[in-house]
Amino acid sequence: MNRTVLIIGLLIVVAIVFVLFACLGKDPQHIESPLIGHPAPPFALKAVGTGETIDLQSLRGKPVVVNFWATWCVPCYEEHPTLVANARNLPDVQFVGVVFNDTEDKINRFLDERGKAYPTLLDANGKTAIAYGVGGVPETFFINPAGNIVAKFEGPLSTEQLQADLAKAMR
Amino acid sequence: MIATFVLLVMLQVKVPDAAQAVGAPQGTPLSGPPLERRTMEIASEVRCPVCQGLAIGDSPSLMAANMKAEVREMLSRGYTEAQILSYFEKSYGQFVLLKPKFQGVNALVWILPMLILAIGFVIVVSKAKKLETAPVAPAAEPEVGEDSYLARVREMVEKQ
Amino acid sequence: MTAALGRFLILASVLVSTTGAFIAFAAGSKRSPEGLRWSQRFAYGFAALMLAATGVMEYALITHDFSVEYVSHVGSRQVPLWVTIVSLWSSLEGSILFWGLILGIYIAATTWFNRNDHQEYMPFAIGTWLSCGAFFSFLIAGPANPFLSVANPPLDGPGPNPLLQNHLLMIIHPPMLYLGYVGMTIPFGFAIAALLRGRLGQSFLKPLRASLLLPWIFLTIAIMLGGWWAYEVLGWGGYWAWDPVENASLLPWLTATAALHSAIVMERRGVLKGWTVTLIQASFLLTILGTFMTRSGVFNSVHSFTQSSIGPTILVFLATVLVLSVVLLAMRINSLEAEGRLESAVSREGMFLVNNLFFVVLTFTVLIGTCFPLIVEAVKGKQMSVGRPYFDAMVVPIGTALLFLLGVGPALPWGKASKKEMQSALIPPLILGTVVLAVGYALGVRNVWTLLTLLFGGYAAHVTFAQMWLPLRQRMKHGDSFGPALLDGQLRRGRRRFGGYVVHAGAVIVFVAIAVSSTMRTQQEVTLSRGQSTTFAGYTVTFAGIEERAEPHRQSTIAHFNLTKNGKTITTMEPRMNQYAAMREPIGTPAVYSTITRDYYISIMNLQGDQAGVLLINLPMVGWIWGAVLLMGLGGLIALIPMRRRTYVVVPESVVTAPDEVIA
Repeated sequence: MNRTVLIIGLLIVVAIVFVLFACLGKDPQHIESPLIGHPAPPFALKAVGTGETIDLQSLRGKPVVVNFWATWCVPCYEEHPTLVANARNLPDVQFVGVVFNDTEDKINRFLDERGKAYPTLLDANGKTAIAYGVGGVPETFFINPAGNIVAKFEGPLSTEQLQADLAKAMR
Repeated sequence: MIATFVLLVMLQVKVPDAAQAVGAPQGTPLSGPPLERRTMEIASEVRCPVCQGLAIGDSPSLMAANMKAEVREMLSRGYTEAQILSYFEKSYGQFVLLKPKFQGVNALVWILPMLILAIGFVIVVSKAKKLETAPVAPAAEPEVGEDSYLARVREMVEKQ
Repeated sequence: MTAALGRFLILASVLVSTTGAFIAFAAGSKRSPEGLRWSQRFAYGFAALMLAATGVMEYALITHDFSVEYVSHVGSRQVPLWVTIVSLWSSLEGSILFWGLILGIYIAATTWFNRNDHQEYMPFAIGTWLSCGAFFSFLIAGPANPFLSVANPPLDGPGPNPLLQNHLLMIIHPPMLYLGYVGMTIPFGFAIAALLRGRLGQSFLKPLRASLLLPWIFLTIAIMLGGWWAYEVLGWGGYWAWDPVENASLLPWLTATAALHSAIVMERRGVLKGWTVTLIQASFLLTILGTFMTRSGVFNSVHSFTQSSIGPTILVFLATVLVLSVVLLAMRINSLEAEGRLESAVSREGMFLVNNLFFVVLTFTVLIGTCFPLIVEAVKGKQMSVGRPYFDAMVVPIGTALLFLLGVGPALPWGKASKKEMQSALIPPLILGTVVLAVGYALGVRNVWTLLTLLFGGYAAHVTFAQMWLPLRQRMKHGDSFGPALLDGQLRRGRRRFGGYVVHAGAVIVFVAIAVSSTMRTQQEVTLSRGQSTTFAGYTVTFAGIEERAEPHRQSTIAHFNLTKNGKTITTMEPRMNQYAAMREPIGTPAVYSTITRDYYISIMNLQGDQAGVLLINLPMVGWIWGAVLLMGLGGLIALIPMRRRTYVVVPESVVTAPDEVIA
């Protein structure tokens, strides 16, 4: 028995197996946001349709839900009714949609067909998305009344998920 | 670029600005070919968040194109490479840096290969020494292979 | 019905491989010839069952039998027949079945070729192979079963992953890769047999080496095809992105290459036996790790299959084999070790040790780089990335060192050499090295690493060429005429050596072509309206317009570009966007115009009406990589082809002192 080989070999084996087991089941697409707990990057963007400018700063004092989406994204279709319904039920919460890499007429058609309950802002060149660290659509950020990001959710939102994350913003 | 910026201001649209995240530019503004070259260099170090491990410089996706445009704009405004990388890191975390920083645990990814090279070197040298001084074992006679065959031919040629 | 037959065949193969493995190990420990014969039968039986099961699956695919679950996932009446046939490996379950088939064929073929030889080792080897066979059968029978029945079969299916249909290379790449990956099971079985016996005799080196060389050839070609595919399809003009799955295919290749080298020292000097066995074990384990990486959904990669349930099963297998391999190695390594010695460290033998060191360091670097984000996440819960800039920074110096050894190693004489011998061996190749360096510099190469690569490449080319034809020259010096010297000395008796240097020649070209194509590439992004031209890298590109083309399985938007040089029309290039029914976003396919010196590459970034945003890339020497890797594969084949046991001896009797048996 060569003890050196045995000990070194088993150490390597244990390390490899431990790491691989620890990583099983994680989603490789998920990106942890370093912005959680930090002030939300400010933006003032033009709303599609109405043309008014919405400034995030002016929304201080109430929780804000910022939803990044696009008309070419299938999960965005799925979550749209959830967002619209919750926006109607929760007048104290400001919902904001942000669309990047898309055209205004497509967005208008989408909203006309599928309902509209809150402003949708056009993010030219995706600069706002970059500042928020968006890694794909849909992605939703929850901002508390003080203007800090408290949660980020990737993928289509369900009402339960939305309310759970919103609760963090209400606190 | 500046025209767009002015236009945005006129429309009272304000996009998140790098200055809020990483402060004033610390380098000299670039333009022309050096701008393009630096853009490509930095774009090869930033990970495209919607792709699978590709750099924004290599990815055909729209997200990557936006980020590359951001790099180009920041360079044209005089931001340094370190500032640009830290701007992306502020929103995406270290995930976005394809070249890990030599910092904290991440430094290990740079050190470990060197360490293995050093240890391996010591092992190889000591092994070679040991093999050089090993007693000649009768069993060591190698199989008749092409090279020994060649040696015999050579030997024969020399004899003549 | 078909599904049930498939399930039956797979259950039978679980039974046959498990029983066969038990019988084989028992036969090995009792040294029973009768037991060996039985285990051989079980090996053939396993192969037959895998063949039958794959046949059933292909039948179901071709007849569009959507009552079989796998067919309902990947089949479609809309796709061409060839797509239907290759759908076997287009998705997870089918690819595991395909894996089983290749494993079966490998096991049966190796058992057959060695049916009367190496009786001491064969039972243990067959036992090891059938144990692996049992695991894969279990995987097919359970977690990745393609033969499940669908209660209400659909009328049509979605068809296979569009990426598979997008390029012909995708048909050859996966089978090549599996032939390489799965083939590593065979030398692993031999290595385990040697460890269980506690000895590794000279005569057993022949099957060990051949069984390692064959999958090495496949893996070499497969890695190249994967890179070529990425180059032709992904549209960024690169062939290697240091993606986890790409790395997974490179890792076993690196250890196998190291093992092929250490096996030469083992053969000539009787040393490094335990080390060679370790490298062979590592090669097999890295293929399993690679399978885990591709199929567990843990790694983020262009090539990986979607999240699947077989990750944990493969991991348990990997952990088991790892522990058993380490324990067995620790128990037996001392009994395998050194019977021989080295006369001098500064010799060809010594260079083999350094070569192995660099290959191992390279393997570790790629492995650490690939797994480091996982380690950080598991230990600290933080995300980070390790990508191309890291690998380029680490791998380029190690690669350059390997190229240096590729020149210096074979130049050094075996054994102990005098100072004069050393000088006459090492100095002349510097001439070609300097010439290549100067030519490169004159052509505009300024990157230090590329210049070093040219210097070492020229040096290595000289040494390789001189060594390659050495037998021919020696024989002619001895007085043989060219014909017999070439046929007998070079191609028959010296074949293995000749093949080895052909591989080296290919490798030298690969090194140079990679260095040149990656550091000398230029690119430009432009937006062109219809009829508009731009000039880039000596060619004028004119955007001629867009054509829509409907094919049964896809809708293509093809952009036409005319390429002219000095007013002369060279060719028409047609990069396209292919929209497949099953995919949301179109897949772009770039157009490549290849010449002997460089590739001209056009990739579409966006198409809007009469405007085309394109990426133009000029890549010198990139085509040389594909050709040179094929040359490496060819060299491997030359070295692999078995030589007759006894060869006709032209050399006078006096030279031949030992029975002239040449190991192939």
